[in-house]
Amino acid sequence: MLRLIRNGTLEVNEWRIFDNSSTPLPGDEANWMVSLATWTDNFQFLQKRKHPVGILIPPDAEPKDILSIDVSHMNHHPIAFIAIDFPIYTDGRGFSLAQILRTQHGWTGELRAVGDVLIDTIHYLARCGFDSFLVKEGHDPELALKAFETFTVHYQKSYRQPIKILT
Amino acid sequence: MYIYDDIDQKLVEQRVSQFRGQTQRFLNGQLTEEEFRVLRLQNGLYIQRHAPMLRVAIPYGMLTSKQLRTLAYVARRWDRGYGHLTTRQNIQFNWLRLEDAPSVLAKLATVQMHAIQTSGNCIRNTTTDHFAGVAADELINPLVWCEIIRQWSMLHPEFAFLPRKFKIAVSGSFTDRAAVGVHDIGLQAVEENGKFGFRVFVGGGLGRTPIVGKLIKPFVEWQDLLTYLQATLRVYNLHGRRDNKYKARIKILVKDLTPEVFANEVDEQWKIIKGGPDTVTEEFVKSIASKFKWPEYDLNTEISEAFYFSKLAADTKFNRWSCTNTHPHKMSGYASVTISLKATGSPPGDITADQMDAIADISEKYGFGELRISHEQNIIMPDVRKSDLYMLWQELQILNLATPNIGLITNIISCPGGDYCILANAVSIPVATAIQQRFDDLDFVYEIGELDLNLSGCINSCGHHHVGHIGILGVDKGGEEWYQITIGGRQNGGIGTDPSIAHNKGGGAAIGRVIGPSFAREQIPDVIYRLIQTYLKLRDSDAERFIDVVERLGITPFKQDVYADPLLAKATMSAEVLDAEIN
Repeated sequence: MLRLIRNGTLEVNEWRIFDNSSTPLPGDEANWMVSLATWTDNFQFLQKRKHPVGILIPPDAEPKDILSIDVSHMNHHPIAFIAIDFPIYTDGRGFSLAQILRTQHGWTGELRAVGDVLIDTIHYLARCGFDSFLVKEGHDPELALKAFETFTVHYQKSYRQPIKILT
Repeated sequence: MYIYDDIDQKLVEQRVSQFRGQTQRFLNGQLTEEEFRVLRLQNGLYIQRHAPMLRVAIPYGMLTSKQLRTLAYVARRWDRGYGHLTTRQNIQFNWLRLEDAPSVLAKLATVQMHAIQTSGNCIRNTTTDHFAGVAADELINPLVWCEIIRQWSMLHPEFAFLPRKFKIAVSGSFTDRAAVGVHDIGLQAVEENGKFGFRVFVGGGLGRTPIVGKLIKPFVEWQDLLTYLQATLRVYNLHGRRDNKYKARIKILVKDLTPEVFANEVDEQWKIIKGGPDTVTEEFVKSIASKFKWPEYDLNTEISEAFYFSKLAADTKFNRWSCTNTHPHKMSGYASVTISLKATGSPPGDITADQMDAIADISEKYGFGELRISHEQNIIMPDVRKSDLYMLWQELQILNLATPNIGLITNIISCPGGDYCILANAVSIPVATAIQQRFDDLDFVYEIGELDLNLSGCINSCGHHHVGHIGILGVDKGGEEWYQITIGGRQNGGIGTDPSIAHNKGGGAAIGRVIGPSFAREQIPDVIYRLIQTYLKLRDSDAERFIDVVERLGITPFKQDVYADPLLAKATMSAEVLDAEIN
């Protein structure tokens, strides 16, 4: 089913989370997401892959640990995206992490919300800098696409306008 | 009164549509109970003992006569003909149907009202002094600043899912009537070297862990207010505890980190965003101020006070009401009036639809059609000509709205308690009524003088019992209702009186201390009576208030006197056991 909102349209999500319990690194195949720890320990290798990885950041990541990734460097290297995990949608830490990555660390690449991503949180997520969204099961992805336009005006000046979706 | 522009109106309407969709999806089974719970709470909708309860925001307590009539309409059409004013400048309707909530909100949107963020783990309705903008002792007008904070906090994308609820209060006067010391963030306007800004207290709050806020920043210049708030909220959002609901408030984070470390973390974040897009400009402050419709005082004709003074001299009842229920105004010839919703026998803070309509009419006749809600659950008429006070008082008497008890023992702050609230351990309203009946001799009530008596039906402390000069807390023990008494609490000290207190104690607020074992419900009026007798015996003059005596002598003499009565000492529960259970 098409659950991934990306570039304003719905796509099939083919990304998998890499589990390093059997092998330390994923093979050079498409669609692997690795943890922040795996990336920081192995980025010299990982950035040379033919198939770029996505980096999955947990909600309790310290902003300064993310800072230790050289984002400006990453912006010019093959990384598929940075994903921030929402174990439950009421865990609001990911909103601050996203805003910090965008406005303080200069991350201009793709920023993906994964986990408990609801129709009802997409608007706020987009304003904090996310530009791709893996909509949770049970939430109609078509309705999620429309959520960008829930509010057409805003008060807060330092947050972006949600990206206009062409349908 | 702040008048919405197109953007303000559009946001509120779009929130109504969003909520209508969410309610529909829930009723159709497309949103789970758990998903919908938080979404409805963010729009003020609780599921209560009898029915859903809707909490409507009255931003910084300001209300027009037209809005009040609409609230009356809502009360009649969708509820049971009344509402309840809360201690945070909101109004609650207790008997709604869930499926009607979107229509109620749509109706409210037509008069620029909403229920956005009146509940949930987000930034709540910003509260302030109920005399904001008209008080005689004002340094700045906090209404403009409250509106700036309202806009900044409303539908904030980053801070919609905080570890726990978040309450901000603003005081613009020398006397803090906003209780800045017991809020997550308390802002006290101050002047320093000819510049004005805010003293920032963080981590105050009541509930199960009552703490007075710590002075985190002695001075934040006005331009930097929003970036400082943003930095504070960001530190809290990232580091506040999410594993335990009872340790999730910012007060626990401030305590765990220590105020110094917390302040440093905020500063670290602040220096990155200070001067950024959320910096407040003079132009912006002016544009917000210009969207208020300010009262047009009659400056040309001098308002004669002769009639007022003649009535004060001639009519003792009027004189008494004037002493307690009228307040100094910044404009000569005017006064502010408190309409007491604390008549004996009516639940504190409850207001009927008929009373709403009548007060709306009166506010147009004797004012500018503008009203305020106080956190003490009364209604304020901010601008009344002194020459009109006598007629106003006569009209209020007919409506049973002229109870002369503001600042006195019968002006009880109380939550709805176990009669309505699903969280409550004990009833509140019948206890409040019993106390009011015990103190039905007005001469005696005046003799006692200034006294705040606050009552909560459970440890969530909606009745602010911790900061009552006398506080009463309902507790449950094996299915029975018991009541714990505290004394010595207070909501402020005032920056004018003692700057050292203001610095150290969060606007001078203090948390009351438990006097001893709890009492049965029917004992409470006698216990209060005995506390009062002790006070009257110990005070050195009429000018020394109850709270002053507790401060001077401590709680021991009160404790000894109360428990010296064998009937009262028969209470079976020890406060220590209770405390252990509650915490």
